[in-house]
Amino acid sequence: MNARKIYPLYFSFGALALYFALFFFPCVLGLFYSFTDWNSFRPELNFVGLDNYRNLFKTNTPYLLYFWNTIKFTFFTTLWKTIVGFFLALLFTRASRMANFQRMVVFSPQVLSFLIVGLVFRSLLHPSSGFVNNALDFVGLSALKQNWLTNLAWAFKSIIAVDTWKGVGYVMVVFIAGLKAIPSSYHEAAVVDGASYAQRVLRITIPMLVPSIMVVTVLNITYGFRVFDIIYVLTNGGPGYATGVINTAVFKEFSKGDYGMGTTLSTVLFFFITLISYFLIKAMMSKEVEA
Amino acid sequence: MRMRKMRSLCVASALLLAAAFAGAQDKAVTLTFGTHQSGLPTSGIVQKLGVDFEKETGIKIDFQVVPDAQWRDLLKAKIQAGEAPDIFCADADPLSLYDRVRPDANCIDLTKQEFVKRMDPSVLPAISYQKKVYGITFPGAKIWVYFYNKDIFQKLGIKAPTNYAEFKDICGKIQKTGVVPVYEALQNGWHQVLPLFESGPYYQTFYPGLYDKLNANTFNIKDIAQLKTIITQLKEFADLGYYGKDFMSNSVEGDVKAIVDGKAAMVLEGIGWGTQTELENPSIKGKLGIFVMPWGDNQIIGINPASNAYFGNVKSKHQKEILQFFAFLARKDNLQKRIDGDPQALAICWPEIKSKYPKDYSDYIKAHKTGTVMQAAVKYVDSQWMDVGKDLEAMYAGASSVDQVLQTISQRRDEQAKLQKDPAWK
Repeated sequence: MNARKIYPLYFSFGALALYFALFFFPCVLGLFYSFTDWNSFRPELNFVGLDNYRNLFKTNTPYLLYFWNTIKFTFFTTLWKTIVGFFLALLFTRASRMANFQRMVVFSPQVLSFLIVGLVFRSLLHPSSGFVNNALDFVGLSALKQNWLTNLAWAFKSIIAVDTWKGVGYVMVVFIAGLKAIPSSYHEAAVVDGASYAQRVLRITIPMLVPSIMVVTVLNITYGFRVFDIIYVLTNGGPGYATGVINTAVFKEFSKGDYGMGTTLSTVLFFFITLISYFLIKAMMSKEVEA
Repeated sequence: MRMRKMRSLCVASALLLAAAFAGAQDKAVTLTFGTHQSGLPTSGIVQKLGVDFEKETGIKIDFQVVPDAQWRDLLKAKIQAGEAPDIFCADADPLSLYDRVRPDANCIDLTKQEFVKRMDPSVLPAISYQKKVYGITFPGAKIWVYFYNKDIFQKLGIKAPTNYAEFKDICGKIQKTGVVPVYEALQNGWHQVLPLFESGPYYQTFYPGLYDKLNANTFNIKDIAQLKTIITQLKEFADLGYYGKDFMSNSVEGDVKAIVDGKAAMVLEGIGWGTQTELENPSIKGKLGIFVMPWGDNQIIGINPASNAYFGNVKSKHQKEILQFFAFLARKDNLQKRIDGDPQALAICWPEIKSKYPKDYSDYIKAHKTGTVMQAAVKYVDSQWMDVGKDLEAMYAGASSVDQVLQTISQRRDEQAKLQKDPAWK
């Protein structure tokens, strides 16, 4: 360690001040507001204790459903994006003339806004005029037609599919970078030892990719818990409340003017994400293999 | 050295040009006008008036139209975040206006404007708060009726229904021909709620003084037996397939094509819809009849004196221009242009402009009892309209029962009342 190259502590004060002012302090303030009846109708603020938190667990409210939907959405989108992204990365790291073009095609939905993707897919998934059902009719698979966004059994699956389609390109790019960092000598040695392709993927590629898997998993989980746009545009939490998530509930509470309840939901979400991310990173760091 | 001087000269010129252009742009004012799809007539007359306004004054109107299902929540969020457009359109009624836009804090006071005294006095309570006028409104009283295709009815030898049993019977006969009996549309989020609260005057015949009792919290909305009956009947129609199989994905805007193409036989629409549809589709001219919605055996026509209104954002930097635009819209010649350019507008709430109700419509309304709809007279009903739409959507999807829908409507009223510290809810 070169002692002359270590910067003094006060170099970080500016960044720390910004972090505290714009992130830490609002979080603490949010926590405080969650114990009040802060709303848009009256200027006075009254302390209500744990009333807002108790409301989350009442059986005649949909909040527990929203939490469950958020967990389901996060789990399945993380899983599918990781699996599909990994296989696409394996596919597109093989020497091929069109590899760059193919990577660009898979990555391109990532640059579109959620609003555009949502509006396009609402049209594509319309039961009578949508491209998906019309295509199924055309190829003789009419039996597979569904009300993709208004059937209770399919609405959430459709949202997960659309979100996976949009986000898989980003995961693929991260995995491609990770795959290229694995020394080829490991694979060559494994081939010499008689390992099959599947064995090399399981015993060399995946363990060496743990840092990349950790990065995409944390990013996907934090995104999944914060999801709002794609659900708002595709179904607005419908049919009924079936696809509502925590952030659509937060939006609804703030729209109703019940800021205390909205802040409570956001606070619970914040602690949830922090806890999950902490344990996830800890678990993954113990499995890291250094090249 | 010479090249470097040329390059510096070019950059300096480009910067000067950009600054000059930006300066010129700064002088041209653009007013943002936020609204939902149903907030503007589909004929585009308001946008045309916007173009005329720009020609006259140089002030551009930038219309930002949002889907119905998202507008109410989005508008509240934008107002609370301080990002509301210069002008915003909102549904206005005396009971929900405060909850919707907090006019005292967010809207320009229009009380002293010249055009206020020219509006129909009956609409002023809907756009006022604490005796100050904050909005400008144009639509006349809103009446919802079922339009039906006379040709389909004639072929089947059926007549317009006057009660639920007849309604159900004719739907069964129409369904057998492969035509969707009733065009219903859930995508907009509000259409499916109409039968519940437009039937308010009918409920009052069973419960005298109902509206006052609901506002005083001496009667619970879930105890209105006829409300439960209507919700049950709506569900029955869905279960019998009388709305067709795609009603949960349909939008209200699709009803014209469905009726004109003969794919659907009946649709619940505003009373001016027929005139516009016939004008734009000559093939259906003279073939549209109307009848009162017969849910629960109702035969009373509900009238909503309130409608949507435009409000000026008090935090806008262009308040003078906003007032200029409102005054422009309120000019007599522009009011006449508005009613002439919107076939759906059979009347506007400006007495100086003559209404254009067809005689058969006027005669039909006169032949029936009328009353004020529930959402214009009962607290905490209109404010949860879109939520009730979601409740009904959940019911149609099988995730909720009729009793649960009623319970949720009642609970939501209680929550809103307690949040606003309504003294009637203790």
